[in-house]
Amino acid sequence: MTATVERARGARPRGMVVIGRRLALPVSRAALLAGVGTVLALVVASVATLSMGRLGVPLSELPTALTGGAEGKTLFVLDRLRGPRLVVAIAAGAAFGISGALFQSVTRNPLGSPDVIGLGAGAGAGAAVVALKMPEGVPVSLGALIGAAAAVTLVYFSTGSGFRDPGRLIVAGIGVAAIAIAITQYVVYAVERERAIALTAYVNGSLAARSWDDAREIGLALLVLLPLTLALARRLDIGEMGDEIAAALGAEPKRTRSRAVLLSVLLSAAAISVAGPIAFIALTAPQIARRLTGGWGAHLVLSALLGSLLLVLADLAAQQLPLDDMPVGIYTMAIGGIYLGYLLTREWRRGRL
Amino acid sequence: MNATREASTLTPPAGGAGTRTAGAGAARLVGFLLLGLLALALAMLASVVFGARTTSLGDVFATLTGDADDYVATVVESRYPRTALGVLAGASLAVAGTLMQGITRNPLADPGLLGVNAGASAGVVTATAFLGAGGQSGAVWWALPGALLAGLLVYAIGSAGASTGLVRLVLAGAVVSAVLAAYIQLVTLSKPLVFDSYRYWVVGALGGRPMEIFWTALPFAAVGLAMAVLVSGGLNTLALGDDSAHALGANPTAIRAGGLIAATLLAASATASVGPIAFVGLAVPHIVRAVVGIDFRLQLAFSALFGPTLLLLADVIGRVVMRPSELMVGVVTAFVGAPVLLYAVRRMRGTA
Repeated sequence: MTATVERARGARPRGMVVIGRRLALPVSRAALLAGVGTVLALVVASVATLSMGRLGVPLSELPTALTGGAEGKTLFVLDRLRGPRLVVAIAAGAAFGISGALFQSVTRNPLGSPDVIGLGAGAGAGAAVVALKMPEGVPVSLGALIGAAAAVTLVYFSTGSGFRDPGRLIVAGIGVAAIAIAITQYVVYAVERERAIALTAYVNGSLAARSWDDAREIGLALLVLLPLTLALARRLDIGEMGDEIAAALGAEPKRTRSRAVLLSVLLSAAAISVAGPIAFIALTAPQIARRLTGGWGAHLVLSALLGSLLLVLADLAAQQLPLDDMPVGIYTMAIGGIYLGYLLTREWRRGRL
Repeated sequence: MNATREASTLTPPAGGAGTRTAGAGAARLVGFLLLGLLALALAMLASVVFGARTTSLGDVFATLTGDADDYVATVVESRYPRTALGVLAGASLAVAGTLMQGITRNPLADPGLLGVNAGASAGVVTATAFLGAGGQSGAVWWALPGALLAGLLVYAIGSAGASTGLVRLVLAGAVVSAVLAAYIQLVTLSKPLVFDSYRYWVVGALGGRPMEIFWTALPFAAVGLAMAVLVSGGLNTLALGDDSAHALGANPTAIRAGGLIAATLLAASATASVGPIAFVGLAVPHIVRAVVGIDFRLQLAFSALFGPTLLLLADVIGRVVMRPSELMVGVVTAFVGAPVLLYAVRRMRGTA
């Protein structure tokens, strides 16, 4: 708790970025640099996504193609294949990133993310049940949403202390995830091979064959959820100082916390509904954001940018590696797992955590 | 479920409590032993009787004496392999769990949570995809090195820094499992045939596996059980603390290493033969400790008795709830075990 207060105090005086007369953002120079750097990297990764490989649009043609001069094969690649996929990757990555940042901030658990509490596993199980019982009528993504909601509700009520206690949260998450995974495995076992492979790809989280409909869906979700998140951001910052101070400053810590968890779950669920339960973006993006800035200011924005960057990079790997378009979730799982392992051993060696 | 309280139940009580166990407890233990044996016998019988076509006890006896007609005899005999595998896997998983929990003093230790399952799966997938290993019985040979490596890795990551805490090992297990899962998905999704054999194996089922698998897994399980018996006395000494153990002439490092290797052998042979099955290795040690107390020799013996009973009962439940198709035992244990874990979470005090 003391450390949090000190960290918050340390971050404040580093400066404000003033835009115009009305807007002053409490952003440190480090955060601004990190943000600009991430945006640049994101642009480079996006251009690479559009231009690399056999079907890629050559760099020289890209500016004309993007400004409406595309036709024939180029139009098909941009409009059908890679364009919507890239937009969905950016938007879903941002949603995952903010979702993780909110969750970690509110639970005061640097390892908290909807991944850990069974949201992804629940989404997988929901998708699997829909695929088994109602292969025609109900879209798989709706099943994923219902499954995710059910899993999170179960974790919330079984800890007996809501989302407060990291230890309980992790253990309850393991239990709920075990049930969810058993359901998914049963369905993968029970259906024929083609559907089992498709379902496995979805459960890992895949961006293959996204359409502009998916992009609109996640865009709309962000349009609604981002302002709500930003409206909550200031109270969250105050909440980092501890419940007493937050209450004294009028930030209503309990209400803030439950709203933030709700937003976090909704953001992740929105991303899952268009991209499937992609692992570890929500966990790693805020971690990297905090390490880049060393503080809390502008944490949400940077987490969103890093989430986009990570997902676009992972999807670039998924598209370009010679392994015929594996689900992107496999790459994020591998890389996220290795990063988490590195993080844990380092923190443990230093005696923190 | 709380770490400190559990640790204290794992340490032998001093004086009075110890003598009480020796005296009045002996009759009670014999009673529990007989009950346990009876329960196991009933579970094995149920495993032979129930199924898509339920046979009667008379049919079973007729088959055993050779008087049954061919059809009934075939039905009953088709249930022998899964019963044998259930006994072997149940005992292996339960003993492995008891060893893991005793050695790490971590009430959540379970070979499945600690990456051994993922390691075994990765070994099997590697073998079928790249090394041309065919048939289910060959898989055992490849599950073992995978499980051993994964277990060592989890332990190395989890014990970085000062001590091995509860949440730490679980997290290290999650990390190793995640990376291995990514590898497994990558391989299985790019090779449809490997995917097919993998999805039938990973769900965790006793049925549909030939007797051959039992015989392949048996030597590994036997070695593991023998090692478990050998280290059990040492584990009792170890519970007094490392210093006292040293003074009594025991070698804590050797005991721990032996126990972990035994647990990994057992878990890997069980996982290789019937697929990953959750919660048996986690739950049985808790039940056993509640019944026999802290003596590891007793804990191991009773784990070997309760584990098969539980697994066979879960298998029988899976056979009758969805008749005529059946629910795999791995699904049943998850559905029974997870709620128990969720209930136990409420009793955790603070962050473990």
